[in-house]
Amino acid sequence: MGAHPVLMQKSNLSDQTLIARSVPVVPRSRSRILALMVLVAFALVGGQLVRLAMEAEATSGLRVSMMSASPATTLARPDIVDRNGRLFATDVQLPSLYADPLLIQDPDEAAETLVRLFPHHDVRELRRNLAEDGRRFVWVKRGLSPRMAQTVHNLGLPGVSFVDEVRRTYPSGRLGGHVIGRVDIDNRGTAGIERYIDETGASEEAIGARLSARAPVRLSLDMGVMHAVDDELASAMKRYGASGAVGLVMDVNTGEIVASVSRPGVDPAIVEEGLDPKRIDKVLAGTYELGSIMKLVTIAMALEDGKTLDTMVDTTAPLTVGRHTIADLHPLGRPMTVAEVFVHSSNVGSGQLALAAGAERQKAFLEKLGLWTPVGTEAAPPPLPQRPAVVGQAEQITMAFGHGLAVTPLQFASAAAGLLNGGKRITPTFLRRDPADGEPEAAPRLVSEHTSRMLRDLMRRNVTDPGGTGRRADVPGYNVGGKTGTAEMAVAGGYRKKSVIASFLGAFPAEAPRYLTLVMLFEPEGQKVTGGEITAGRNAAPTTARIIERIAPLLGVATAGL
Amino acid sequence: MRMLNFTAVLLALSSAFLLYGLNYDTRLIEAKLHAREREAERARADIAVLRAERAHLARPERIEPLAREMGLEPLSARHLLPGTWSDITTSSTAK
Repeated sequence: MGAHPVLMQKSNLSDQTLIARSVPVVPRSRSRILALMVLVAFALVGGQLVRLAMEAEATSGLRVSMMSASPATTLARPDIVDRNGRLFATDVQLPSLYADPLLIQDPDEAAETLVRLFPHHDVRELRRNLAEDGRRFVWVKRGLSPRMAQTVHNLGLPGVSFVDEVRRTYPSGRLGGHVIGRVDIDNRGTAGIERYIDETGASEEAIGARLSARAPVRLSLDMGVMHAVDDELASAMKRYGASGAVGLVMDVNTGEIVASVSRPGVDPAIVEEGLDPKRIDKVLAGTYELGSIMKLVTIAMALEDGKTLDTMVDTTAPLTVGRHTIADLHPLGRPMTVAEVFVHSSNVGSGQLALAAGAERQKAFLEKLGLWTPVGTEAAPPPLPQRPAVVGQAEQITMAFGHGLAVTPLQFASAAAGLLNGGKRITPTFLRRDPADGEPEAAPRLVSEHTSRMLRDLMRRNVTDPGGTGRRADVPGYNVGGKTGTAEMAVAGGYRKKSVIASFLGAFPAEAPRYLTLVMLFEPEGQKVTGGEITAGRNAAPTTARIIERIAPLLGVATAGL
Repeated sequence: MRMLNFTAVLLALSSAFLLYGLNYDTRLIEAKLHAREREAERARADIAVLRAERAHLARPERIEPLAREMGLEPLSARHLLPGTWSDITTSSTAK
């Protein structure tokens, strides 16, 4: 037909009116309009309902934002607990004191009154802040104790008021302080696990002073074991006149660090302690030449390369490379077996084994063990190991008995754990592994199971052998295996004689180690109890024995043969 | 038709009143809820303080000397009879 659509509509309309006229009942179009109006009315009602609901939400949100008068946003942090749920760190709400300079009538008097309560404040600075024109907000003191807040409140100073803030507290004090780290004034993590928490997004902006409702961060540390280690190290430092000490306990199969103690310790609540270079975390942040305990690595390499415990090593004469001469402390004057090199801690023998392996092989083995490149944990960025630029014969020999290569105690412990647990590489961690997660996925192998078994055997022999350097580490009931190390301390420009780091690497039970211990005593002095000696066998080894005796029951390690 | 109009107006009016009442009730409930929330918040804050205090009092550094004073000492191998170990480890908190 091709009719114009508008015309078509028109004709339709006229049709409708025709019909309407012809039927004298209520017009259908009008009833439709009515229905539409009712619908619109209901829609309006519905719309109003939605609007009110939304408005109410908005006003309640406003209330919250008005409550948080503080301009700085603080973070609400999850708790930090040990592996058994004991509290290391938690947030509490504490009142913070601020002033509104506009409302303060007499800044001089106000400042003087406040300084009397907070003697650490600089009265001039406070006075200047309180008198400043146009300023409406000045922090006076953040995180007051409730009693202090009451005292200030009772002063009735106009223009000063309180706002609740989330503040971090550390109920266990110095215990675990190094690992936990610290937070700044706005509750932001600046070191240790606290920093890790922020980096992984486990903390959140605190609205008002609301505490975090998130699940606690569960560490692998065991507070009871930490304390036992800390306590024994404290008495060892006193007994042997040491200036510092390190104690590390690690699960050799999972890499979980059960205890990590570095003395002198830090209290996370005291910022100055955390920044004091004397109090650095020796376990994670310090690199040291560890001395003879490194021979474990050299022997492991030799065993991997086909040597046996009975292979003879030429130790008849001191080793001479260039102008260096390396001799043994107690030379036997005859060739030794590989086992004897370990038990008698022969520098010459270790050097010979390293030379036999070659520089490339030695470097590759150290790399494989993670002793050549930094190894970090959640708690700290790893420092770079101090290693020789060129590995020549002299470097090979010194590294073989633990000099010339400085690594962190944690780094060494991780490598040793891998050597002793059957040869599987582990990743050290401060977070608790859930046993339900099952075995860690197939980790790269460091050494064969056979080598690992021989190393355990050597460690045990070093304790049971009457001539072994580690015999004072024995604990009846627990088969302890271990290796001593006494390293001269490196100072600028060389080594200081008589200033040593005495270390003991222990593992128990030796036949199938579950835990590894590393004890280090810094600058121990000759005492009556040690017969005037400063070697690790006289101080670090007996300290390890005391520690293991105390922690083995806590760790659920069964006694054997008792 | 007038009937329909009338009921519609009535319906609109009554729903308006109903809505007003509902809105009022909602605000009341909301205020109550906020009060409860504040209460819960305060309780949570108190719990946090008490937990921290409890942890501080139960820190090993403080418990150890107290325990030693009572004549207790760390468990060592000589306290154990052969064969008792597995009973202890399976029933106690160890791990």
